[in-house]
Amino acid sequence: MNKTQKIEVGMELLRILAGLAIAYATALIILFSISQEPVKIIQLFVAGPFSSARRIGSLVNLAIPFTICGLAMCFMYAVNKFNLVVEGIFMISACMVTWAALSVAPANLPAGVMVPLMYVVAIATGTLVAFIPAILDRKFKANVVVVSLMLNSIIGFFCTWILRYKIKDSSISFIGSKEIPESAQMASIFGKFRIQSGLVVALLCLVVVSVLFYKTPFGWKMRMVGANPNFSKAVGLSVVSVSFGAQLLGGAVAGVAGATEMMGNYTRFQWVAPTGHGFDGLLVAVLARRNPVLVPIAALFLAYIRIGADVVNTTGDIPTEFVTVVQGIIILLVAAESFMAGTKNRIIFKEAEKDLKAKEAAKAIA
Amino acid sequence: MADEVLRMQDITKIYPNGFVANKDITFGVGEKEIHALVGENGAGKTTLMKILFGMESCQEGKIFINGKEEKMQNPLDAIAKGVGMVHQHFMLLPSLSVAENVTLGVEPMKHGLFDFEAAVKQTQEIADKYNFNVDARRKVADLSVGQMQKVEILKALIKGAKILILDEPTAVLTPQETEELFEQLMKLRDNGHSVIFISHKLEEVMRICSRVTILRHGRCMGTHDTKDLTEASLSKLMVGRDVVLKIEKEDPTAGKPIVEIKDVVKINAYGKRVLDGLSFTIREGEVVGIAGVEGNGQTELSDVLCGMGGFATGDVLLNSGSIKGKSVRDIREMGLAYIAEDRMVHGVAADLSIKTNIVADRFDKKEFRHGLFMNSKKIDEVVDGYIKEFEIACDGRNQPVRMLSGGNIQKVVVAREFTSGANFILANQPTRGIDVGTAEMIRKTIVRKSRTEGTATLLISADLNEVLECSDRLLVMRKGKVVGAFPKANEVSEETLGEYMLGVKEMTLEEMEGLL
Repeated sequence: MNKTQKIEVGMELLRILAGLAIAYATALIILFSISQEPVKIIQLFVAGPFSSARRIGSLVNLAIPFTICGLAMCFMYAVNKFNLVVEGIFMISACMVTWAALSVAPANLPAGVMVPLMYVVAIATGTLVAFIPAILDRKFKANVVVVSLMLNSIIGFFCTWILRYKIKDSSISFIGSKEIPESAQMASIFGKFRIQSGLVVALLCLVVVSVLFYKTPFGWKMRMVGANPNFSKAVGLSVVSVSFGAQLLGGAVAGVAGATEMMGNYTRFQWVAPTGHGFDGLLVAVLARRNPVLVPIAALFLAYIRIGADVVNTTGDIPTEFVTVVQGIIILLVAAESFMAGTKNRIIFKEAEKDLKAKEAAKAIA
Repeated sequence: MADEVLRMQDITKIYPNGFVANKDITFGVGEKEIHALVGENGAGKTTLMKILFGMESCQEGKIFINGKEEKMQNPLDAIAKGVGMVHQHFMLLPSLSVAENVTLGVEPMKHGLFDFEAAVKQTQEIADKYNFNVDARRKVADLSVGQMQKVEILKALIKGAKILILDEPTAVLTPQETEELFEQLMKLRDNGHSVIFISHKLEEVMRICSRVTILRHGRCMGTHDTKDLTEASLSKLMVGRDVVLKIEKEDPTAGKPIVEIKDVVKINAYGKRVLDGLSFTIREGEVVGIAGVEGNGQTELSDVLCGMGGFATGDVLLNSGSIKGKSVRDIREMGLAYIAEDRMVHGVAADLSIKTNIVADRFDKKEFRHGLFMNSKKIDEVVDGYIKEFEIACDGRNQPVRMLSGGNIQKVVVAREFTSGANFILANQPTRGIDVGTAEMIRKTIVRKSRTEGTATLLISADLNEVLECSDRLLVMRKGKVVGAFPKANEVSEETLGEYMLGVKEMTLEEMEGLL
């Protein structure tokens, strides 16, 4: 690495950290100004997520769907297609897994068969649903953002319909499906932390996606198409096929996310609207700069401030919504690529001048 | 010496990638003067002018206009202060008329609406005043390049520019159009305007400029009166060594046809026949040069040959197979290597590493893979070899391409294209905007590959010197057709070439028999 490159990498890191710090500081200021007992609340917000084994467990449990959704969004982001269908897939995959699990329940399959089977269902669902905006984009150049957002609404109502008419448990007082068979419920691990075994799935996804991105020809193709589609075409890549494929893969990963959440955290399917996990995934992917390796770190950070907000909500007088403000600021500062660009350029300028002087001095001596 | 209307004092500009484009440059332009700014490609001429025109900001330095210090915030600001710039690449709206283009930003209004007739009148007035022969009502898309340039100059004049910057104005003109431009520039000078004339062409500088400022590697090498200089001494100041304009090469032994272009017609989005029944053959072991004023079908020809753009009728055979309807990948498999005209758009992915860029066309081939995965070790080995072979100045294979200089970026491109094993090289403007050393390396490699490996090469270039010195056979393109063919490129004079390029002369098919 040369000096300029080092400065660029350093500044990139600094920029993200500065964005996070500013957002975090804003959160503290908001808390300080609206709370009756600010000191205690801030303590809760900062240290709350680590105050008990169960909370640490919740933090990790929350970071699991964030991670997998973030990985799914990395695919969309890598080829510059802001396909937001991850949001809908997360919901429909959970719904389909429930339906499938209930349908095959009479067969009494062992967990070793049931869980992989459910993942097959989830991956198929995710790929199939992602196919819709992807093919519309490919064949008709329909704006993928608009199509995927509309599709998410359709998915939301479709899942509610399935829930009410196909899998509803009429013996309970709230709207929810029948309980999925035990063989499809993934056990918690690490005892009192009660971390869902989806952790293993998330780590597996992380490894698979990272390897796919950086070690396989398709990963290279995706990154090339994302970096410069014209160039990719000129060296012989099919830009449409690559971005189409990437969107399907992203859909498959989103399917895994929905299934993991369903089987790891719930016994009944009971969502009647999309859960927002897809947008959290987008936030995570942006924070991680579309680099899958950094996704878990971003996911943990997001989970940390969410749990912190939960803690101050339950034990104090602060509504959880204030975290949304914090998230907004993070996105703004991290996504704004020119934030702190002036500082970066000044540093590079100074270094270049120094180099120049050194060279001249060397010349003078010679 | 007349009064100084412009002075740039100690200008220093360093780009965010650390490239020092200008360092302590000082120069002044007098009233009624045509002042030349010369230097090699990448010497910092365009950057310096962009600073003057408010398109770039400089870290240090001052600009004085008529003795008063001014800060150029943006181009509008510069225009308001009497500076006008004609860019190397025209900034015109092709679908609008000349009058609309010229009055853009200073539109005459009537009842709150644009008054087209008044715009035509204003444009025609100013065109007549300076003897510019353009029709204000015509659409810019229908104009020749020389006329478009006049429109650009008019655009600056109508806004009251006293100082005109012309960035390599003759690069796209034929010799005859250049003559016309010079007459107009002298007329402008006599009318009290000052002109900054950026050029590579020394004889032009010697002819029309009274003084010349020389830049080398971002530094000012001084300002001289042209009458004290000769072309030879000026070129010494510019490059620090004598420019070698000859490539030593033996006669080609042209073998079997590699590329056969048969009656190709391409019609663009406006319904214009941009390739109009084009036919010629490129044989094994020869370099065929295409000369022509830019915009006469060269870009479209290159798009057709590399598969980036289709064509209406006709056929192209590459190694005996038709490329019609084939993807870029297929055509590359059939034997194409492609040096694209715009290297930052089609030549590289700037944010990706040198490594990725070099193997971009071949990384999914078997030799670079271990089953499903990439064979990183093998790729690194190959890439390091190419970095060494092509002398790419970098800090290692993982450095993003955008951090390299233009010449080194082009080296990355040729490291890929020259090693792909193709037997047809399509080189479109392979040395545009890069340093002399790299340009020479690329030209020599093109010739060497044709002689030792029998590659067929199509060299499309706006640099007449380049097509004349590199090519074996030379074709002149005009309006999508071949209008002239010469068996020995290095025996053609620039004057003759210009006549064919401009359409003063045209060869019949009989005359070109055996040369296509």
